[in-house]
This record gives sequence, C-alpha cells and structure tokens, in this order.
Amino acid sequence: MIFSQLKNLGVLGINNRVGRYILRHNARSSYPLVDNKVYTAQRAKAWGIAMPENYLIIENYGSLKHFETKIVNYDSFVIKPANGSQGNGIIVIKEVIREEKDGRIRLSFRRSNDKIMELDELKHHISGILSGLYSLAGQSDTAIIQQKIDKHPIFDKYSYGGIPDIRVIVFMGYPVMSMVRLPTKSSDGRANLHQGAIGAGLNLSNGHTNNAVIRNQVVDFHPDTNHTLSDLQMPFWREILELAARCYDMVGLGYLGADIVLTPDQGPILLELNARPGLGIQIANLAGLVPRLEKIRLEGESNLLARQRVEYSMKNF
Amino acid sequence: MKKYVPYITGFLLLFPLLILIYKSQVLKMSLVPQMVDDVWDFHLSIRPKGVVNSFSFPVPKSGQGVRVSDERFKKQNYTVFSDSNTADSIVMTWTSKTPIIRRVQYSARVDVKPIKYKVTKDTTDSYPKGLLQYLKIPKILPEDEEAVSLLENAILEKTESKTSAIRKIYYYIEEEVQRNTAIKTIHETLVTGKGSPLVKAKLFNLMARRQKVPARVVVMVRLPEVKDEAKAKIRFTFANEVFLNNRWIPIDTNRGHFAERPDSFLVLHHNYEEIEKMISRKNVTYKIIAERVRVNKFNRKEYRKEVAKSDSIFAKVSLYKLPLPLQAMFTTILLIPLGAIVLSLARNVIGIPTFGIFSPILLALFFKETSLGFGTIFFFIVVLIGIGQRYVLDKFYLLAVPRMSIILTLVIVFMIGYSFWSVDVSFISQKHLSFFPIVIVTTNIERLSIMIAEEGVFSTLKTLIGTLFISLLTYAMFFIHTLEMFMFTNPELLLTIIGILILLGKYKGYRLSEFIRFRDLVKQRQLKDEKRS
Repeated sequence: MIFSQLKNLGVLGINNRVGRYILRHNARSSYPLVDNKVYTAQRAKAWGIAMPENYLIIENYGSLKHFETKIVNYDSFVIKPANGSQGNGIIVIKEVIREEKDGRIRLSFRRSNDKIMELDELKHHISGILSGLYSLAGQSDTAIIQQKIDKHPIFDKYSYGGIPDIRVIVFMGYPVMSMVRLPTKSSDGRANLHQGAIGAGLNLSNGHTNNAVIRNQVVDFHPDTNHTLSDLQMPFWREILELAARCYDMVGLGYLGADIVLTPDQGPILLELNARPGLGIQIANLAGLVPRLEKIRLEGESNLLARQRVEYSMKNF
Repeated sequence: MKKYVPYITGFLLLFPLLILIYKSQVLKMSLVPQMVDDVWDFHLSIRPKGVVNSFSFPVPKSGQGVRVSDERFKKQNYTVFSDSNTADSIVMTWTSKTPIIRRVQYSARVDVKPIKYKVTKDTTDSYPKGLLQYLKIPKILPEDEEAVSLLENAILEKTESKTSAIRKIYYYIEEEVQRNTAIKTIHETLVTGKGSPLVKAKLFNLMARRQKVPARVVVMVRLPEVKDEAKAKIRFTFANEVFLNNRWIPIDTNRGHFAERPDSFLVLHHNYEEIEKMISRKNVTYKIIAERVRVNKFNRKEYRKEVAKSDSIFAKVSLYKLPLPLQAMFTTILLIPLGAIVLSLARNVIGIPTFGIFSPILLALFFKETSLGFGTIFFFIVVLIGIGQRYVLDKFYLLAVPRMSIILTLVIVFMIGYSFWSVDVSFISQKHLSFFPIVIVTTNIERLSIMIAEEGVFSTLKTLIGTLFISLLTYAMFFIHTLEMFMFTNPELLLTIIGILILLGKYKGYRLSEFIRFRDLVKQRQLKDEKRS
C-alpha cells in the first residue's frame, strides 16, 4: 500500500535513480570531473564559474614537509579530500594561531567547532586523506587546501556553526528540485543531512522555503536559533539556478546535483558537484522527483541556453 | 541492444532448464547424486549344530526402507541358494557334500531408511489367498482363549474399524504388558501381565488375527548407534506387522512404534513362524556384527559412473571428470554465485546496508571453511580490534597503510592466541583457514572505524548487522547440501543465475528500506494536503 502511495507521489527510489537516470544520462567518463574537486575547479575556471579559491593542492606526502611555511600566511582555510563525499574528511580552520617561542613560530589551528588542532594532527589528517581514507573508492587521493567561505548574513538566524549550502538537482540542464541545508548543533555545524542538519525545500519559482525536515521529521523552527524556517527567502535566486544549470553544460552529466554556497561578497559560487545526488531532497520538499524528471525527459529541449532552461523550470516547478 | 534484453534473459533462464529436462527425461540421469545415508556393513557368521549337510538362515533383503548391496558369501565347498518364497524375505541355504563343521560367512552392505505410514480406517472383509496364512489363529489353551476374549471385551468395541482395534491392542500391549525376558509363553503373560519381546509380539499377533487382520511377527536386529557397540553381539529382536490399508504396517509394542520403523532396525525376516526353527539356538550358533561405514554423504563415485554411462556430451564435459581436489574446490566455488543472488536481493530489493560489496559472501565462505562459532568470534574480535586501534593508534599519527597493516598483524596475533587457547578442542587445527577473508575483513575495519567517527555508532552498527545478517543467510544456504550438489552436478545453472541477476539488475522499483525512509514523507505530505484543503 505504501509503495503505491510512494508511486503516486512520484518518489524516486535508489534503484530507479540508478537504472533510469544515472546510468542512462551520466557517462562514466565524465565522473572524474565531478568526483575530483581539483578537476572540477580547473574546468570551472575555464567556464567562468566561480568556485572557492584553491590555495594549495597536496598530492603526495613529500609536499607535507614544509606544509607550515605554505599556509602560514593564510588566516583561515578548509582542508578537503579531492575525491571525498558527503563532507567526509573536511576540516574547517577558522583561525590560524601563531605563537612565537624561542624565536620560532609555532602554529596551531582553531577549527570551526572551536577545537584546537596542533600542526601534527593537521598533517596526520592530510596524510589520511592522501592515503585514501575518505575517497569514494578508497584509492589514494589528493588533499585540497581551500579558501574558507564566510557565511552570508541572511543565514545568521537560520544556521548554527558552518556554512549552509544550496543543493540543486539538475536534469538535462534543467533545475528540477532544490533545498538549502542548514547546519545545526547536532550536525556538528556541518551541512550534512545524515548528521542532523536541516533540509529545507525551496520553491524553484521563487527560492522561498516550502518545508523543512531534520532526519525525516518536519520542523518549523531551527532547533538552535529557534527562528522560524518558513520565512527564508533565498537572495540571488535566479543566479543560483543559472549557476546550477550551467554546470550541466560544463560537465555534461544529465543527472547531477550542484552544491552552491552564498558568499557575502561574491554572491553564489559553486562548491562542488555530485554525480549521484541523494534522494533526501524529496523529503525536504515533501515531493517526488519522478514527475518533474519525466516532464523534462518528454518536453525538455536540448538546444536552449541555461537562462532559458531556468526560465522553464521556474515557470513549471 | 536494449530490445534483446528480454530474449537474452529468457534464454539464460530457460536453456539450463531444458538441459535439465533433457538430462532427466531423455538420458534418464539423476539430477543429484544419490544420497548415501547411514550405511552399515552387516556381517553374519553361522554354524549349524549337529551333523548336517545343509542348513538355512534368513538374510536381509532389499525392500521398503532397506537397500542391500555388495552381498558376499563364500561359495567354496557349498552350494548356496536363496529361496524367497515370500516376496519380502530371503532365506539362504548352504549345502555341502560333507557335513558342515565350519562357520559360514555372509556379509552385505545395508542402507536402512526410516519408514512411516499414515494409517486410515480399514474395513476390508476379504483378503487374497496369499494372505490367508497370516489370519490363521495360533492354538492356545482354552483358559487363555477365555482370558483373551475377556480382554477384548474390555478394550474393544464391537463396531469399530480394524485400524482402530489394532491401535487399541497396540496401546494395551505396549503400555500394560511389562517387559520381562523371563516370561516366554502367552499363558504366563496373560496371568502376570509381563512378557519377553517375543511373547509380546506373539500376543499382539494373536489378538490382531482374532480381529481378522492379517498379522505376523517380524525378526529384526537393532543396528548399533555407536561404534563400540558394534563389537558386542547383536541379538534378534521381534516386532509385528499388520496388513492395513492394503500394505504391511510395522508395529513395535516393545519400543513403542506404531506404523513406523526407525532406521536403527533392520528386518531379517518378515515371518517368524517360517524361520522359528532355523534361528533357534538349538539348531544353530550365529554371530551378527554391524558397523556403520558412512554417514550422510552423496555418492559421487556412483554418479561419475552414471555420467560416463550416459554416453552423451555430459560424459565429456561433466565436472565429475575433474580430479578430486578440483571437484572439492568447485563444489565450494559454485556456491558463490548463489550467494551473489542473496546479496543482490538483500541490497537492491530489501536495501540492507553492507560493508563493501562482496564481503558478506566472503564472510559466509569463511564461516563455512572454519565454523560458524569460530567465524563469528573472529569477526567480532576483528571488529573490536579495529575499533580499539582507533583509540590507541590515533595518538601515534601513523600513515594509513602501515596502520592497516598493524591491524592485520594484530589479527594474526589473535589467531595464534586463539589456537593456543583452543588446542585442547583441536578446533582450528584440523580446519585450514582461508586467508582471503582475513584480509577482506581487515581492510573493512578501517572503514568501519571511520564510519563510527563520522556517521555515528548507530548507523555503523546497522551496517555491521546488515553485513553479518547477509553472510549468515548465505551461510545457511551454503549448508543445504542438496543445493551444493545440485549446482555441482548441473553447472549449466550458472546461466540461470546470470538470468536471475539480469532480472534483479533491471529492478527499478522501491527497496523495502525506502518504505521506512519515505514513510514520513507520505504521512507529512498527507497532513499538509489536508491542512491546505
């Protein structure tokens, strides 16, 4: 009975996602472009799509040797594995603490959750990344030291700790569903739904929240800030959708998830792409993906510009 | 290409089935080698008493629940002939020109299966001629006859069916007549309420015949349960058979079996009256030995012959032609695809999370190679080592590969410790450990400890239990020997498995786990829609 209800709502299941959309529309050869954030960044640069600046790319243990001299000049940064997923292995350093002792500078790092990390710990974490602890298939990986993005003031009342991000599912270049992930205390300040961040569905037509959930349960208020979640209006909405839609042109994946963050000064920038975006977005929106995907499959034209496709999506979904 | 998928799948599914039908119907081959269950080597040595040139003795005969093969007896100096005037028993006669003074030997391999019948109401009036001898009421003393009819009046009703009467007589003798080997006549039994096994059987026989049910006393031997027992001399024991529902139904008032005979009893002769004199200690001394030779095994050797005889393509390409060690290997390896079906079902249709893709199958193989007990202990110890090292080695800041190698080494240390501990039970020493799963399990451990750190204990536990559950399920399936032999005998079924896997791969419906995952979506969507309207 529940299965027929799911079907009526058009909820997309994992098997269907893989069999009907990912396998048919995503060429395997394009995966490295999205799985490896170094490649994504290179491609994005060529396409003029804004992404956080990569300060440093560490490909082997040798480069760790003089690591401290390379980062001493940055005040904050993010360490992430190039092939990571679900935010695993990401450490956000919000402050680099420099202490002078016996004429030598000793570095330590304040994380976004205010824990202090020593240089050795940081290096150990990076070597863990290099040996593939966090990569999708467990093979050796590259670590990226990246510009830390600041939170856009609009999110102050809606998030705890880290930076919220906006996930847009793009099918054949058309945005089909979107949500904003708002970190909470229980998610350790991360925008990760599995860890208890809020997923708030966004109307594609106007960028306004339509519903919010924490781990499948509908919530009306942010548990940490107690602010109502129903009045969040995403600024730069059309730009956000256009940015997501252009990612399709950039990497050529028919079914992809674009993670976009809002910066206080640059506006929306692309954080990363995902070739197998999760299905939790349907719970956040209390709506199924299938009707939208099928509509695009039947009606979507392939020769439109990103702007025109966004126009279509904003009108129809 | 896409449009061929149903045809290819259909072919893969059906082709092996056609082969199976061809094999069984046209070539008349069995699809699984015959099961050899408990098989006994049965030895009989007999010497007649007195000066005789000829004597007879009953020997086992193939029939319901009994298979006799490999009969051997010395033919030198004797003329041996068997006489089976009744269809279900054999009496063998040894004849010599000179008086027989030495023991004669008879041996055979017997395979006994338990038999059990369901007896329904029986009101037969007349029986064929051959059965009339089993209705003849033995002569007894007049006072005994009086006692028996009193007894009948007490326990039986006039109008009941034969089956019901037999059942009541059985209950009476089984429960009310105590076993006492000293009491050897029906008269004494009727007076004292006690009786030897033979006299109990005789009393039952008498009472059954008086109810006009063909009955007879059967002569059996009890096959030894344990090896040492075999050396002890086996004696004859007695039970009954009655003719109900158009067949002979075994009844044992001494050990309490109605319409069944366990596989620990071998019938030597079905009519005591015929052989009473032959087996009497007055005429003969005998010694019976039975030794259990094989326990529940498939008879591969026989099947190999069967395949060779079939004179078909299968005689050339059968796996049975391989050398034995290879055969043993393939028996196990052919289970892997079956495990893969279980795994695919569990992951894609049910949605059970596992560590790695094939680790549950490897784990199941590991359980099978060692034992379930050792396997699970090993698995949990490795998991504990994996979690524990996270707390200890984390402080050392080690690179990942050496760290993983340390876990692997710790696992081997554990194994050494375990074998010391279990040296008394010689548990692990006989079983060779397959090294493959050790490495697989170990490599999953690092991921496990990371998962605990990042996704929490609950979700890790779920994955852990999922992995264990699937491997236990696969393990249970691996233990169906018939399945194992079926795959080994008919490896073309691998094509069917591919067909099934294609079907599973084409499955685009929801997973059972998504029922839980999206349950709230459905509920809350309904609530929202109600609010709106």
